[in-house]
Amino acid sequence: MRDNVKGGALTEVTFYILLSLYTPKHGYAVMQFIEEKTGGRLSLGAGTLYGALNSLQEKGWIEPCGDSEGRKKEYHITAQGKETAEKELARLHELVSVASGIVGGTHYE
Amino acid sequence: MSKKYYRFFGGLLTAQENWLNKMSEKGYRLIRTGKLLYEFEECKPGQVKYCVEFIAQKSKNNAKDYHDFLEEMGYSVFYKNINLNYSVGRVRWRPWAEKGGRIATNAATFNRELLIVEKENDGKPFELHTSYEDKENYYSNLRDPWFLLLLMFEVFAVVNRSVILGAAALISLIPVIVYQSQIMKNRREARTKEW
Repeated sequence: MRDNVKGGALTEVTFYILLSLYTPKHGYAVMQFIEEKTGGRLSLGAGTLYGALNSLQEKGWIEPCGDSEGRKKEYHITAQGKETAEKELARLHELVSVASGIVGGTHYE
Repeated sequence: MSKKYYRFFGGLLTAQENWLNKMSEKGYRLIRTGKLLYEFEECKPGQVKYCVEFIAQKSKNNAKDYHDFLEEMGYSVFYKNINLNYSVGRVRWRPWAEKGGRIATNAATFNRELLIVEKENDGKPFELHTSYEDKENYYSNLRDPWFLLLLMFEVFAVVNRSVILGAAALISLIPVIVYQSQIMKNRREARTKEW
């Protein structure tokens, strides 16, 4: 059975931030990563990004890394964050398969 | 050659933002702010874009953290006072602020209620808040001080049977309504969409 029954859905912003932090990044690089991966579809405001990074840190899904003396603060994803991202991926797979069955085949592009 | 302007915008943050963006279009970018002062130097017309961000609810550390974060994002950030305060002696009470920011002292958070954020113009719109939930949150921060003012004026107006205080209460009702309608609008959108 799926073990992702509980936990709920992530917001797109949350999921993309988690994905971006599989390799350590500072805020600006996170923003660039998301814009690049979505072809500019999702463009994150700095205030929104700041709030999201703080909430994810409170949740324990990401943490600051590197020498804290460095001028730019870098974050990376935690084990708990990876687990969350995996569950979300499974949820999205389910969603896509249900949607494809109803709306029609997967025509990307 | 720098140019100095003196302007009072009070709580009209959008008007301040629009004015700064107009200045940029005319070829002036901000280099310094004072109480009522805005000092500009020449730049290419439209070289930069501005956002005015309300941060009075933040504690000193959080305001600094946010300020530094924005600078790391590559923006130039100026502290600015809002020129609207109710004070008792030298201490300002902000019951609507987060812990650590409720008493504003001259050294810490007083006269640093706003951030003016400047970005090199890349042709894209400049917005600091992009998700509906975050916008709702931001507008709540803007509404709360006005809501408190409204309550205070109302109570004093009734107690003192004063028409002037009653008028002041009515005036503070305007921003409360404006921000509240933004909050409701974003909340409605957030029911079906994230951004």
